[in-house]
Amino acid sequence: MFWYVIRRLVFAAFLVFAVSSASLIVARLAPGDYAVGAMGLNATPEAMRELRARLGLDRPIAEQYVDWLSRAVRFDFGRSLANGRPVIELIAESAANTAILAATALFLATLIGLPLGVFSGSKPRGVVPAAVRTASLFLLSMPPLLTSLFLVFFAARTGWFPIAGMSSIGGGFLDLLQHMVVPVGALTLPLIAMFERLQSQATSEVIDQPFVIATLARGVPRTRVLWRDALKAALRPIASVYGLVVGTLLSGSFAVEVITAWPGLGRLMLDALRARDVYLVAGCAAAASVFLAAGTLFSDLALVLVDPRASE
Amino acid sequence: MASDEVPQLNKLPANNLAMSSYTAVIRRKFARKINVHDRFARTFDGSVFWPLSQLLTGHSRNLRGLLANALAVTCIGVACGRTPAPGGTGNATSTNVAAPARGGELLVSIRTEPQSFSRFAHADATTDLVNYLTQARLVRINRNTFEVEPWLAESWTRSADGSSYTVKLRPNVTFSDGHPFTSADVEFSLALAYDVKGGGPIIGEGLEVGGKPIKAVAPDPLTVVITFPAVYAPGMRIFDDLPIVPKHKLEAALKAGTFTEAWSLSASLTDIAGLGPFVISSYQPGQRLVFARNERYFRRDASGIQLPYLDRIILDIVPDQSAQMLRLEAGQSDMLADEVRQEDYSRLKRAADAGRVQLFDLGVSLAPDSFWFNLKAGAFAKDPRSGWIQRDELRRAISLAVDRKAYLDTVSLGAGVPVFGLVTPASRKWYSPEVPQTPHDPARARQLLASIGLTDRNGDGLLEDARGTPARFSISTQKGRTAFERGAVVIRDELKKIGVTVDVVLLEGNALVGRLASGQGYDAALFQLGVTDPEPATQLALWLSSGPFHVWNSGAKTPTPWEKQIDDLMARQISTLDEAERQRLFVEVQKIFAEHLPILNFAAPTIFAATSSRVANLTPSVVRPQFLWAADTIAIKR
Repeated sequence: MFWYVIRRLVFAAFLVFAVSSASLIVARLAPGDYAVGAMGLNATPEAMRELRARLGLDRPIAEQYVDWLSRAVRFDFGRSLANGRPVIELIAESAANTAILAATALFLATLIGLPLGVFSGSKPRGVVPAAVRTASLFLLSMPPLLTSLFLVFFAARTGWFPIAGMSSIGGGFLDLLQHMVVPVGALTLPLIAMFERLQSQATSEVIDQPFVIATLARGVPRTRVLWRDALKAALRPIASVYGLVVGTLLSGSFAVEVITAWPGLGRLMLDALRARDVYLVAGCAAAASVFLAAGTLFSDLALVLVDPRASE
Repeated sequence: MASDEVPQLNKLPANNLAMSSYTAVIRRKFARKINVHDRFARTFDGSVFWPLSQLLTGHSRNLRGLLANALAVTCIGVACGRTPAPGGTGNATSTNVAAPARGGELLVSIRTEPQSFSRFAHADATTDLVNYLTQARLVRINRNTFEVEPWLAESWTRSADGSSYTVKLRPNVTFSDGHPFTSADVEFSLALAYDVKGGGPIIGEGLEVGGKPIKAVAPDPLTVVITFPAVYAPGMRIFDDLPIVPKHKLEAALKAGTFTEAWSLSASLTDIAGLGPFVISSYQPGQRLVFARNERYFRRDASGIQLPYLDRIILDIVPDQSAQMLRLEAGQSDMLADEVRQEDYSRLKRAADAGRVQLFDLGVSLAPDSFWFNLKAGAFAKDPRSGWIQRDELRRAISLAVDRKAYLDTVSLGAGVPVFGLVTPASRKWYSPEVPQTPHDPARARQLLASIGLTDRNGDGLLEDARGTPARFSISTQKGRTAFERGAVVIRDELKKIGVTVDVVLLEGNALVGRLASGQGYDAALFQLGVTDPEPATQLALWLSSGPFHVWNSGAKTPTPWEKQIDDLMARQISTLDEAERQRLFVEVQKIFAEHLPILNFAAPTIFAATSSRVANLTPSVVRPQFLWAADTIAIKR
């Protein structure tokens, strides 16, 4: 188990290094740099050269990369070209905001999706399980972009929730909760559907297993068998994707955060990409890969806990 | 039942008080139910714009109605051309209230964060907006009339030779931190604009005359003598672009070489002082900027009330334009910082008809969509198309082949006017009907193409040159800008009719600008050249062959004879003080331009802007920021 964790940690470190390096290099090589966007068509070549020199964009890419890497290992990811703020500071602010969304979405999805899956998986027939399955399929087929657009539209037409942003001026916890409804809804609904579908299929397979039939034959109540014995055995598919879901959510969702004006990591990354803010792009990519690696590790560990054979 | 009727339930006779409380509770409950029902009714029975929502709610009748409305609007648009009065401001009447009251806050949606709090350090749109709110200038160009108004400069006199100005500053003006404003601040701000450690590349170039800086000396605290390196006809107008910043706050940072960090987003807000109507009171990264009234602002209205009227302006950062629109419609914001998209017009019109928003038709844009070929010398040296791709005849043929009305109807959804040059009717002073207008004549276009050897040689309906190279080129334009994307498709379809093949290349913003600025990697481009002031002297970067904005042939080392002619005319145009002569010279420039067509313009869209119905005393402008350029006089209805 120890070596297993070490192996996964080494892989995680490599993932972070590779993703952030690649994103820096790709953002740097992409046509049109930050100076072009900042100065526009109206700038003289001299002014453009001056700005590039000031920002260090005129240096060879290898030199720029080595310099960035030597600082990145000390957790100094440089400063944003656009606004001069330290990248680490910008990421910390945005990641905290994204984490609020991600944690809430995950909590709600687990709380709703898992029981729904057990319920629909244990009842192959019936109107209600069929309705749950249909709703899940519908939600699964809706990309988060569309879900968030629909929820934003719903909020606009009803006036029940704020359409965009994270808080009102001077707003407290309740205000934050109100602002969270739309983005959390957009993230949670497809997740509920995914968890429901996975858990439903796993449950329907497990309840036909001999050990479940034997337990029932011993007179153990069906509800207890279902929610204690069968659930544990059916958790494997959820455990294997759970960490990935955590990682993906924490990395930020471009669509949801942009549409609902949530100041999270996804929106920060998108803005950085648009502006060719190379250091911020690399920083965001590093943060996203840290979350993804942590999620994968978490997923693997959860899988080992549910099924010890996975560590082999 | 409207929600505002509910309180009337309390207006019961005194002798019914015993029963009244019980009755009122019952009626209130009932009223609440009706109210909720009414909300739903308004929500789902009203005309719903978004077709998807109609499909989801099963209200296909509304969808059919929407489509019918859209068709009707299109037909009316096509039939009537929807041409606002040339040069007029459409329905851009300001919503003046009799006596605006102080107080209230304005919620504005902006799309991006500022990159700095200093206009000297960054030139992005939001930094510019922050600058409008927090800083002031010597003079202001009124964005409604485009006339110069005294601002911090109370008055000025021009020297006999026209090269210098003696400017009297407004007395008793203080910065928001209480420090008095003097001529030393003007002197400092101008020097800062040219300093490479200050505003160098950002502001300085726009303040040069003939490539040389303007000088200012301060003989006394309320007088500045400004000397231009040569006679400059627009004179003081140039200072609209120079924020006057506090010397006492920034001089030390400039000397220490830390000027760009001094007013960066990490700076302490208490360090930022200005002469504008507002001060930055809070900044929440990624969320909003809050501006509080500058209690020391120097302006008062006609009745002596100190401006600004508003207590606060809140700029909420909402990156998605559709979400911005929904917030406005839902009453969660008061305005968008910029104009609304053409495709949002019909829904806003309905909201305006219902009294939820105010919609302003601001007239035709100053900046038409511009299409140009890469005319840089040698750009096609090794290209088999070099014999014809940079020829005047090709551009003239395109101008004849593209149906401007079709372009207008598709790109601007009928709202706008066809144009034949860079100067649109919105530029009331400089637009001239004498400039030739190209008719839609595909037959003549084919003849012109034949004159440069482009004919259909193999009977496939497409043109080839003598070597068999197809008449084919690409148009690069910005991805995600729907108007450009639609425009490029119209040009492609129109040119296909005369046998010319066009490939549309959609590029991300920076990538496109990179190619256009370098003059490499593109055949032709469709883009908008951001004209914010109709004064030709402020557009020298475009007109002069040496100008960085001379997009079709940037940094031309060997200007063509007609480019040299324009250079000479513009040099005279900016140096003569006779306004009639200036107009005549600029018409000459436009005629030469129309003859050689280095840039083709097909249509100028109508600009629309919207606010919530509670905003008053607006002076909307056709240029950005449509309302907030005059933020000090905006009020909230009481």
